[in-house]
Amino acid sequence: MKISLNELQSVCRKAFMGMGFTAGHADDASAMVAWMQSYKLDGMKELSEGLECVVASAASARPNVIYQDADLAVVDGQHMSVLSSGNLALELAFAKARIRGLAVIKIRHCRQRQLIMGYLARLSSRGMNVTAFWRHSQSPITEQVVGFRAGSAVPSIRVYELADIPEDDVPNDGVTILMANHVDLLPTIRSEDEYKLLACHDESDLLAAKQQALEEGLTVDPEIWQQLKSFAAKTLVEASEQSRSGAGPAE
Amino acid sequence: MTQLTPTVEDATLSLRSPATVMELERLGSFSPTRLSFARRLTRLMFEQQWQVSRTQFELDENGHGFAIYCLQTSAYRYHVVVFSRHLEDAQRTDRVIAEAWDLTFCLLEGEVDAELMSALSANVPLQEAGRQHPRLLVISRANKSVRAFATVSAALASGQQPDIDHLKEAGYLYRTTAVYGNGKFGIADFDRIKGYQDFWQPFSAQMAAVYMLREFSVDQVEHIARQADPGHAVALHLDARRYLGIGNSTGLGMAPFLINHPQLISQWVWVRERALAVAVAQPPSEHDRDRMLALCRRAAAYLAETHVEDAPQRLRNSEAHEELTQVIAWLEQVPLDEALWQQLLDWAQTQLALETQELLNTLLIELYPQQVDGLNDAMGADENLDLTPDMPLVQLKQILETHFDWAIDADYECEDARYWFWYQSADKEEPRLGVRGEELGEEKELALAIAPTAQRVYRDLVDLLDAQPRALTIDLLMAFPEHMRVIRRIQTMAATFYGEIRANLWHREMKPMHLLRAKLSFLGAHRFDPKGDRWVRVTFFQGAPLLSDYEDSAASPQVFDDWSFPVAPVAERISASQ
Repeated sequence: MKISLNELQSVCRKAFMGMGFTAGHADDASAMVAWMQSYKLDGMKELSEGLECVVASAASARPNVIYQDADLAVVDGQHMSVLSSGNLALELAFAKARIRGLAVIKIRHCRQRQLIMGYLARLSSRGMNVTAFWRHSQSPITEQVVGFRAGSAVPSIRVYELADIPEDDVPNDGVTILMANHVDLLPTIRSEDEYKLLACHDESDLLAAKQQALEEGLTVDPEIWQQLKSFAAKTLVEASEQSRSGAGPAE
Repeated sequence: MTQLTPTVEDATLSLRSPATVMELERLGSFSPTRLSFARRLTRLMFEQQWQVSRTQFELDENGHGFAIYCLQTSAYRYHVVVFSRHLEDAQRTDRVIAEAWDLTFCLLEGEVDAELMSALSANVPLQEAGRQHPRLLVISRANKSVRAFATVSAALASGQQPDIDHLKEAGYLYRTTAVYGNGKFGIADFDRIKGYQDFWQPFSAQMAAVYMLREFSVDQVEHIARQADPGHAVALHLDARRYLGIGNSTGLGMAPFLINHPQLISQWVWVRERALAVAVAQPPSEHDRDRMLALCRRAAAYLAETHVEDAPQRLRNSEAHEELTQVIAWLEQVPLDEALWQQLLDWAQTQLALETQELLNTLLIELYPQQVDGLNDAMGADENLDLTPDMPLVQLKQILETHFDWAIDADYECEDARYWFWYQSADKEEPRLGVRGEELGEEKELALAIAPTAQRVYRDLVDLLDAQPRALTIDLLMAFPEHMRVIRRIQTMAATFYGEIRANLWHREMKPMHLLRAKLSFLGAHRFDPKGDRWVRVTFFQGAPLLSDYEDSAASPQVFDDWSFPVAPVAERISASQ
């Protein structure tokens, strides 16, 4: 079915509130999903595939900081969705980058990492150069690099498969983000390395996708949409004669 | 999008303080100015020579069927499609929970082909229950003013013009009960249409749709009259036609908008205040004074003949009418001085009611189109509440103490101060007010009351600062993630002049009607007539130019620009022309 961007954001926000997110976190989570969907990057699919995790994460609004100093932070994502506390973890790094010029944050053990791109877009629009890097645990190993130029609404995204599988038993369930106030951090893959490019989205492709989505509406799975509306309905108060009078006297 | 930001020049213009302007009762006394969205539309249509034509009019003898109007601007082509149906009287309700209406209509971009028409027929009449096409910019619905409609159609069918006193009672044939834009129910997002030169301003597409409904309303009533008695029926006199606007019935649903769009509201109020400051700074000529006197007399005549059912509003209108007489006497007597307008406002502030004070502000702005109309381009805003996580907490504390002193110093503990809570009903998600402790739903309260939330942030901030004097905003948020939304708002709004309505929206004495009126004034609504304390009827485009005026090359430009506070046409003139 087709929906508008405003509908998507509004229903998602209410759905997250219905799940138990705080108002500010619901705002951010809905913006993260809507951002992905508006650029045809399957935000709704990403959300729906981990919906149980999102519901379980709703009360975890505070990042669990394992280590931090002036320009580095390590956060334990506790196997929760990045929608729950990813926003604050990224704001922590943003604050450090603003003060120190460059900052790095590692969020370990987190889920739905694709959705973090929506928040990175927001930081970029506030004048920060941002690059995020993560590996997927599938075999073969794939790597994803997302880079935002400061002030740009859209990133450059590369997903590629590694030819050589390194000997490494650290789980690939984290994401590393670099932020720099003054230096471009756009991903450029070294040509001499062996890799198989799986996906490549440039700024112009993404802008065109957004324009098309605005003109034609966003396509969503009706079943997922209904699920979200059910969560959103939890924020509504059941109507009664008394509540009807709460909108004013009858005519 | 042009945005005028506060400049050094503003400092010399002596803008009124937010403490004065953003007080809820004053906002609830605003009258629409020439910068309102309705007034801007009629000027724009004239300046850009929009071509509007009726392309289809498939109505039966009862006026049921559909009609299509084409709007050709210099940049795009749009269509308005109206569906009219029979509605039982028992089904006719202005409440948002209604499921059927006399009319439903939409404004859309591009052409109307058979496939689109089929989708429109199936969905537009369902309104919220339909899935609307992404080429639609606006959907809306309207109900008849049954008595006015019957009176006008009967008179025209019998070859007579309607009794002007009947027209004065309602001032319209139809009233809309909701006008939806910005992506509602699948229609186009504002993000898309703000790229269009015609409708980049908020509510401009909605105003165009309502303006076209006004044309249809008279086309339809004339059609019904002709069908009833083809031999005798006459067209409505142009003066009477011009005097008919479109009514609107609005409830609490409008209130959250003012709270949830603080940057936009700040911009609207700033434009209004800047226009006022520019007008007040003009040294008046005799001509300006005469024009101000004429405007006062017209506004007084409008107030005298405006039929309002609500007793308190009737009293306010009556008081404003009486006080305008005093203003006229004052203006006629005082010597012409360079600071005349400031003297007038100073006198008004001490002697006249808020309603009259704000009415005078509106009239002063009316005097100087050349100096203020450019401000119309600044009525939009890029809305983005951003966090500054590296802001030292001492600075955030200072912002709260400077810009939110009205909020952090108030008492929210006493029963009256936390009397109401706002919530959204399962009935079409309509916003409602409930009494705390008495009604169900408190745990699902909408976070509209900014003032008590700001106070909670302040208290937590002070505690954290005691323990960590060098803490940053991010440190407060890591400790209190639930403050994320309001801290973003506080930091962003500190850089604006206006935007925060200075009221505790929980308070027992809070009047939601003031919120509605503030917004309606910016849209351009007249004849403010509250029904109880939570919904209101108003009128748009009463006195506005007609499509035939736009087609008339001899029409004076004043017709398109000077139609506020409309006075009823002279009955004899209308009858004599038959």
